[in-house]
Amino acid sequence: MTAEAAPVVAAPIPDRLDLLTRLSDRLNPILVREVQQAVKGRVFVLTVLGALFVNVIIALVVASNYKGGATGGRGAFDAGLATLAPLLLFIVPMQAYQSMQSELRGGMIEQLLMSELRPLRIVAGKLGAAMVQFVLYLSVLSPLLATSYLLRGVDLPTIAVCLSCALVFCVAATSFAIAAALQGMLPAMRPIAWLGMAFGLGSASLGMVGYIGSGQCLRDVGWLLRSSEFGMVTSAVLCGAIAGTALMALVAQAYLAHTFENRSTGFRVFLLLAPPLSFAWVYTFVQASHRDDVVPVATFLLSLLGIVFGIFMVSEQQKLSPRVRAHVPRNAALAACSSIFLPGRDRGMACWIAYFVLLAGLALVLWPATGRGFLNMPQSFARVSTLTLAYAAIYLTLGKWLRGRLPETVVFNHGARFLMPLLVVVGCLLPLLFDVLVIGGVDNWHFGHLLNPFWTIDRAVRDSGAAIRGLVWTLGGGCLLVQLPAMVRGLLEVTAAAAARRAQAATVAPASAVEG
Amino acid sequence: MTTPLLEVRHLSRSYGRVRAVDDLSFAMARGQITGFVGPNGAGKTTTMRIAATLDIPDGGDVLVDGVSVLVEPRKVRQRIGYMSDQFHPYANLDVLQYLDFFARAHGLRGRRRQQTVRTVASFCGLTGFADRPATGLSKGMGQRLHLAKTLLHDPQLLILDEPAAGLDPRARIEFRALLKELAAAGKTILISSHILPELGETCDSVVVLEKGKRVVAGTIAEIQRSVQHQQAVQLRLLGEVEAAEKFLATQPDVGEVAVDGDRVRFTYAGGDEEMAALLARAIGAGLRITEFGRIEADLEDIFLQTTKGNLQ
Ligand SMILES: Nc1ncnc2c1ncn2[C@@H]1O[C@H](COP(=O)(O)OP(=O)(O)OP(=O)(O)O)[C@@H](O)[C@H]1O
Ligand SMILES: [Mg+2]
Repeated sequence: MTAEAAPVVAAPIPDRLDLLTRLSDRLNPILVREVQQAVKGRVFVLTVLGALFVNVIIALVVASNYKGGATGGRGAFDAGLATLAPLLLFIVPMQAYQSMQSELRGGMIEQLLMSELRPLRIVAGKLGAAMVQFVLYLSVLSPLLATSYLLRGVDLPTIAVCLSCALVFCVAATSFAIAAALQGMLPAMRPIAWLGMAFGLGSASLGMVGYIGSGQCLRDVGWLLRSSEFGMVTSAVLCGAIAGTALMALVAQAYLAHTFENRSTGFRVFLLLAPPLSFAWVYTFVQASHRDDVVPVATFLLSLLGIVFGIFMVSEQQKLSPRVRAHVPRNAALAACSSIFLPGRDRGMACWIAYFVLLAGLALVLWPATGRGFLNMPQSFARVSTLTLAYAAIYLTLGKWLRGRLPETVVFNHGARFLMPLLVVVGCLLPLLFDVLVIGGVDNWHFGHLLNPFWTIDRAVRDSGAAIRGLVWTLGGGCLLVQLPAMVRGLLEVTAAAAARRAQAATVAPASAVEG
Repeated sequence: MTTPLLEVRHLSRSYGRVRAVDDLSFAMARGQITGFVGPNGAGKTTTMRIAATLDIPDGGDVLVDGVSVLVEPRKVRQRIGYMSDQFHPYANLDVLQYLDFFARAHGLRGRRRQQTVRTVASFCGLTGFADRPATGLSKGMGQRLHLAKTLLHDPQLLILDEPAAGLDPRARIEFRALLKELAAAGKTILISSHILPELGETCDSVVVLEKGKRVVAGTIAEIQRSVQHQQAVQLRLLGEVEAAEKFLATQPDVGEVAVDGDRVRFTYAGGDEEMAALLARAIGAGLRITEFGRIEADLEDIFLQTTKGNLQ
């Protein structure tokens, strides 16, 4: 090799490193790299120049139309915010998506995973890079926002609320984009993920631009700041965004983790934390007068969340991976308690039941004393929710059984997750087809429509539907009973693994004592 | 008793109907360079990816320093450096930044990180290229950067998948020298390659795969012995080829004789003493011999003799 030593390498390393280097040591390596790349890249310069250009144009337009009063300032602020919206909701997430995708495509992600970086740290680094971009775009547009403040169009609280919301939405959209990009690990998912993301982010940012541009956004924020519901709304938005970001980060890390790594516990803890945290929010931020409405709605939404998670939990591989098996708690009691948090569809089913027991318990204790409307009439709510649950149990059992027929690989977990909603569609269509082809028209509910949850629940909640109710409940309960042996098997697998670990520890300890 | 650094136990991996790896077992002692040889599609990359914790076997296990890749993938990752057969550097980063990033990713901090990056860069001969964009390197320099990145966390075991593919002869020789230095520094290296003379020179032992199954494994000398049941001898002479053929036919311990131009090859069952006597008799008989010696089977011969050319 004849090349001369480059000055960078030849120069001695100083005894005391400069502040920037020491600071960058504390930062996430992904963040440092993305910033280095961005500084050298073309997109960055172009976007900053573009944003500056828009800045100047808006300033010129506002200045030429300025007739005094607050409208000019408001207009400038609206225009600035409307420019910011697509940058934060589309460009930043899209860049995170692109960078994740390119890493996946070149197999670079595997090189990263071979290092000390944990999947969650990789995701956090990408989110950090998005934050840096956020600050950057904001600083580019800040002269405009400052002008609008000086023109007395908006006050500081409004600016603070708008920008905080922008930050929260930007993080949530970016984590969504990263999770979507990681779906690309399964090639079949790539186009679906791309379409879903581009459509989702595109329509969100277009909607946002319209909302801001029409002036409605500032009016709403103004109302919010004056109203007594400020705490409730802002905390709801914030908590929702945090929960969404956490969930997306979990999804992303699940894709990045080694196949045998435990990818279930995070999701299950998330799920079981949702009801207590939601009810805590209701009782902290929602005024007593609103709780009559909010508690039933929250309970209903949490039930839906449980059902969606159920689809994922009961479609996992059945057995513990060697890695998880080697890390179950050694203590038998602890192992048994942790069982529902460990991977495997049998334990997933147990976790699902535990979730609904928890939710029902909390809802019963915290149910508002007075009631208005349909949902919080205890009887109708109880009927609708128990019937929905019974159907969920029926279809999850069916889906779980189907999953059992498929090979035990990760790809088929995803396959089963697509199949389960399809099962409901088929359950609805089959009796309808039967009606059309055999009876000659869809007239009345009959027992064939038991497969159709929507129509049947509609029938069964009525006072006249007692027989149907009984039947659905019996079927749902029966399904859960049928699951019992499998759930016990799931528990026993964990306790057996714990026993094996204890036995191993006992054999290793005397051996090392002899050697010592 | 020292455990082998890498132990592949009854490994199997299928992709649909293709059995990429089929009940493969072998072990590698510490400080060895082992060549991993086989026709295209033999399952080399698959085995290496499983050993590098990047793929999951259908059956069997791989132990690195006694640690299972299935039970403790993270611990295994600390012990190995895997150089895949593809190299895609990041855009908009120069060579030093690229190495610096991976050093950070491996948890190196401050002076130690800078020192490691420089040491590794200079070891791999990248010093003159420190500020070149990582995407703009030639194939040879790219492979050096790829190797440098693999060395940053000072792994005990290096798994190199066709590192010499696409390199020109000079770059190959330089790369080989690097490997020898690494081995001298105590690294254990598993290297796959189709360039067999190269491997023959660098490796202590080889594992030959075909259709996911192990065909032979062992040190090159051992395999040579097992492949060559009878030693072959070649002599070269000035003219008189037929005379030599006739002469050899009358000699004890001489088996099949074949003539190829001015060379005569024959199999020989005698020992060294008998061979010396044979040479003396041949010269006495008036044969004008310019070359006389055993033919050693090289890795290429071993490869051709042991594999059947079955591709999948
Ligand atoms: N991801 C995959 N999907 C389907 N088949 C695969 C996959 N990876 C490898 N195979 C198949 O497994 C077999 C072994 O492949 P592998 O890449 O391990 O061979 P190799 O020995 O590295 O070959 P080469 O010398 O060409 O690099 C081949 O038949 C290949 O087609
Ligand atoms: Mg290969």
